[in-house]
Amino acid sequence: MVDFLRNCPQYLANGLANGCIYILVAMGFNIIYNSTGIINFAQGEFSMFGGLFAYALAVSAGLSLPLAVLLAIAATGLIGACMERLMIYPLRRASVLTAIIATIGASIFFKSLGRVLWPNEAYKVPEFTPGNISLPGATVPRQFLWVLGLTVISVLLVYVFFSRTRAGRAMRACSVNRQAACLVGIDVSRMSFYSFLLAAALGSVAGLANAPYASYSIGLDLGVKGFTAAVVGGLGNTFGAVTGGLVLGLLEELIPGFLTVVMGISTGYKGAVASILLIMVLLLRPQGILGKGMVEKV
Amino acid sequence: MLEISNLSAFYGNIEALRAVDLWVRAGKITTIVGANGAGKTTLLRAVSGLIPTRYGEIRYVGANIANLEPHRIVRMGISHVPEGRQVFASMSVEENLMLGAYLRSGRRHAREVKKDFDFVRDLFPGLAQRMHQQAGTLSGGEQQMLAIGRALMSRPRVLLLDEPSMGLAPMVIKDIFACLRRLHEEGLTILLVEQDAQIALSVSHYGYVMRAGKIRLEGESSELLRSEDIRHIYLGEDAMLEG
Repeated sequence: MVDFLRNCPQYLANGLANGCIYILVAMGFNIIYNSTGIINFAQGEFSMFGGLFAYALAVSAGLSLPLAVLLAIAATGLIGACMERLMIYPLRRASVLTAIIATIGASIFFKSLGRVLWPNEAYKVPEFTPGNISLPGATVPRQFLWVLGLTVISVLLVYVFFSRTRAGRAMRACSVNRQAACLVGIDVSRMSFYSFLLAAALGSVAGLANAPYASYSIGLDLGVKGFTAAVVGGLGNTFGAVTGGLVLGLLEELIPGFLTVVMGISTGYKGAVASILLIMVLLLRPQGILGKGMVEKV
Repeated sequence: MLEISNLSAFYGNIEALRAVDLWVRAGKITTIVGANGAGKTTLLRAVSGLIPTRYGEIRYVGANIANLEPHRIVRMGISHVPEGRQVFASMSVEENLMLGAYLRSGRRHAREVKKDFDFVRDLFPGLAQRMHQQAGTLSGGEQQMLAIGRALMSRPRVLLLDEPSMGLAPMVIKDIFACLRRLHEEGLTILLVEQDAQIALSVSHYGYVMRAGKIRLEGESSELLRSEDIRHIYLGEDAMLEG
């Protein structure tokens, strides 16, 4: 028990860093869900592209890292935008479920594309600033600070976008009542386009900040974790994504840590934390921690 | 103002509108009455672009607007107050109204929008006191007023109203219809869909009676109000004769 407590600062630091990545992915899920009602199963693949593009531009093409990062974000945003125009827009008269199933297809396609272009299991993306920082009781890579900073900035930008800008307010109106949004003159299909662009860009930040490794295979794992974070916090809610991401990130460190150090059970169960958390939340509080529940009158 | 000719629309394979001909006169209140499921709501949804139509035309100021996207139709000056109000429940009354003026969000429209905002506040004093309240917590009558106010914020030339009396107390219905009269006096063209034929025909100038996706009867509202046929159509007696 003493050992566990002594390790706690390290667990908290790791949990915070992972939680930030989950927050970014979860916000991507939320943005698309809010403006279209679609759960985008290709959200994790946006992160995959972010990491692989950053590798290709910074390492293969030899660009400076900041430029490579910006281009990778832009390129992934473009992929999101293309996905919306080529796949989601033509399905606008179909049911939401049809579009959701189509996103599963997109995720498989993206993953295969990633595997064809970058066949190795892992590519090392350079850290933004190499090295470690020693804190009392924990050592963290400098990269953690970047992840934290990028997440805070992203959350603030998303918040300001939705509360202060015209397009953001229109997207919020779509999420509250799609039909009414149409009737006040909001171009719902354009909002859908923006949402995929924005979600892809956010997803790519998660992928390229999540150094040191990029791989075609990270999409599924990040997608599941981000989705869990979004649902745990309350689907569609920006601060819910923050809450869900942090809760998931911390539990994923603390629970296996506790099991290993105190109970002597192997840590092979880390991946189960997200699934168990997801199932528990869906059973006990399906609207999520910050969700308001279904109060809408029909 | 708005001329609908030979309009047909389908839900799947079910023909919801069958060759509807209808004319909305400029500056007048036109009403469509009929029982539940007659196709009245479908007709409004077709006009505002919420559902596709298969045959026929909807002519508005010279152009065929059938199957345009809803946001284009709003921009052309047709505003739809949908069935069940459809307010933005988790947003404040003020946010709802300002979203009504979404197409005029720029600074150069600020003065006009402010004028329309004051007009709506004046039209519905009850809403003026609740500007910061969440729309979902308003009473049914207040939500109806908000829905109408939001539609007015786009400064329409034609207002489409779907069942504004639904689920409201008689006193509140009176208020709503008094406000429709005032909007008519301001020069607005109104197409009103109502199940309550009595009140709809007493406020309107011209009326159409729908049943099973077809126009069965039309005429000056005052005449329809006196007519015996309308009762037959509501009760479905003509169907029995036909059948």
